[in-house]
Amino acid sequence: MNLPAPVRWLMHFFRPPHAQGLDLRRRSILVAGAAGVGSVLLVRTSAQGEGRTFNPALIRPPGSAPEEEFLSKCIRCGECMKVCPTNAIQPAISEGGIAGLWTPVLKMKLGYCEYECNLCSQVCPTHAIEALALEAKQKIRIGTAFFDRNRCLPYASARTCIVCEEHCPTPKKAIWFEEVQVMKPDGMPTTVKQPRVDPELCVGCGVCENKCPITDQRGVYVSSVGETRNAKNQALLDSGLGYGGE
Amino acid sequence: MARRRVSWQVWLRRIAQAGFAFVFLYVFLQAEYRPINRTGGHVKFFFLLDPLVMISSWLASHQMASGLLLSLVILGLTVLFGRWFCGWMCPFGALHNLITSLRKGTAKEKIATDGYSRWQKANYYLLGAILVAAFMGINLAGWFDPFAFLYRSATLVIYPALNDGAAWIFGRIYQHDPHIGSFKVISISEPVYEFLRRTVLSNAQPYFYGTVLIAVVFIAVVLLNLYRVRFWCRYICPLGALLGVAGKNPLVQIKRKEDACNTCRVCVVDCQGGADPEATERWKPAECFYCWNCQSACPHEALTFSIRVPGGKE
Repeated sequence: MNLPAPVRWLMHFFRPPHAQGLDLRRRSILVAGAAGVGSVLLVRTSAQGEGRTFNPALIRPPGSAPEEEFLSKCIRCGECMKVCPTNAIQPAISEGGIAGLWTPVLKMKLGYCEYECNLCSQVCPTHAIEALALEAKQKIRIGTAFFDRNRCLPYASARTCIVCEEHCPTPKKAIWFEEVQVMKPDGMPTTVKQPRVDPELCVGCGVCENKCPITDQRGVYVSSVGETRNAKNQALLDSGLGYGGE
Repeated sequence: MARRRVSWQVWLRRIAQAGFAFVFLYVFLQAEYRPINRTGGHVKFFFLLDPLVMISSWLASHQMASGLLLSLVILGLTVLFGRWFCGWMCPFGALHNLITSLRKGTAKEKIATDGYSRWQKANYYLLGAILVAAFMGINLAGWFDPFAFLYRSATLVIYPALNDGAAWIFGRIYQHDPHIGSFKVISISEPVYEFLRRTVLSNAQPYFYGTVLIAVVFIAVVLLNLYRVRFWCRYICPLGALLGVAGKNPLVQIKRKEDACNTCRVCVVDCQGGADPEATERWKPAECFYCWNCQSACPHEALTFSIRVPGGKE
């Protein structure tokens, strides 16, 4: 054939793969496709799948897309883990199910989400963590803090402790105190400030959990409920995000 | 047989590989809080050049981070010139190339193992599975994408180990305060440590969960280079497969001078991609990394790369 060279080159692309130097036939392409379908079905039918169960430990970096979209974008590269200044962002092992292996989750015992930082959203190459201005990021809730009254000192031991409230970074602090008359171990009455969380102000940054002096199992901890990115994982009916949002 | 001098094309490739490996190291170190809320440099550089990241995240989410369009440049250059990216630009490929060059064995043994193997289909299977999974909404590319793999391993295993090792060594020197006569070693070691901490080391020692699995997988992938040339690149890498599919009809083709070749097959030794360069008609462009090793190795200068339209002799 005496076709011009560019046309000959383009025509080459329409020949079957094995004629183009690729050792692939129809059967291998089908097998690969079936493997892909199979792995997705396996992952999708996991009980940890989106909207079935909510894992309290599945705390995503601020600006993260809703879980399903997040898993469609995140390439588990670890840039956010590298850049996080407090070491809070960790590779998920089982928190997000098998499909979430090595995706980022926050572990407040190791670090916390620094209020004045949005580096993870700056470095994410696929916008699984959306690049947000710092002011916008500061309004995003990644979870909500809860007190464990069996362990928090003012509740459990009638001792004064205000560490969590002092670290709380929101403009109006999300941790507030109720002064309560309690009994000391020697039977004498005393007044302690018992901390509470205002779930409307809490952004779930976890600095309270990180700084809590009960070192092993903290007196205050963050769980994923209330996260801005998930309208279903809400505790407050009037949050504007949940089922009863008005 | 005396070893021939390595050709200038091979040296050019080695310089390019070292250069891009250095760029990778640089952007890796830029992803740090130092000490303002801005990352220096183009920390996403390699990911934005990665067509596998672009295609899988687009298929899965029907959205695309605009920067990822940069990867179309790589894809376009691959369609025109073949899978050169693996041989010249990929920093993970450079690491594999380095380790694989430590492989032992005589030329005869290598001729038997370095040619094309049917198992080189494996990464195409993996690519197919990843793309189908992405089409169904779950992006699994990151488990096997070379940059994600390398960056993740570096972040979670290598960098923390490096930091810890440096702290241990310099800490020991400081503790024991050795001196040679009146010369104190810490008068050197402390400024050096201070400099390292300001430049390449982390602000604080990083710790991560589940690093053992990542370390084992990374070390295995690196050591497999001693078993087969660039094991990861040939049998696993889905980005390589994607570039192979895109670059299967390249305009840069290998050509053999039939009268010069005595079919000694020395060209197969150290062929990075397992592309069977020994004969124009057997050569597999989708597996060729354009490393120029075959051309450099040929004792009779029978192989050349030249611009040619594929299938020209129809």
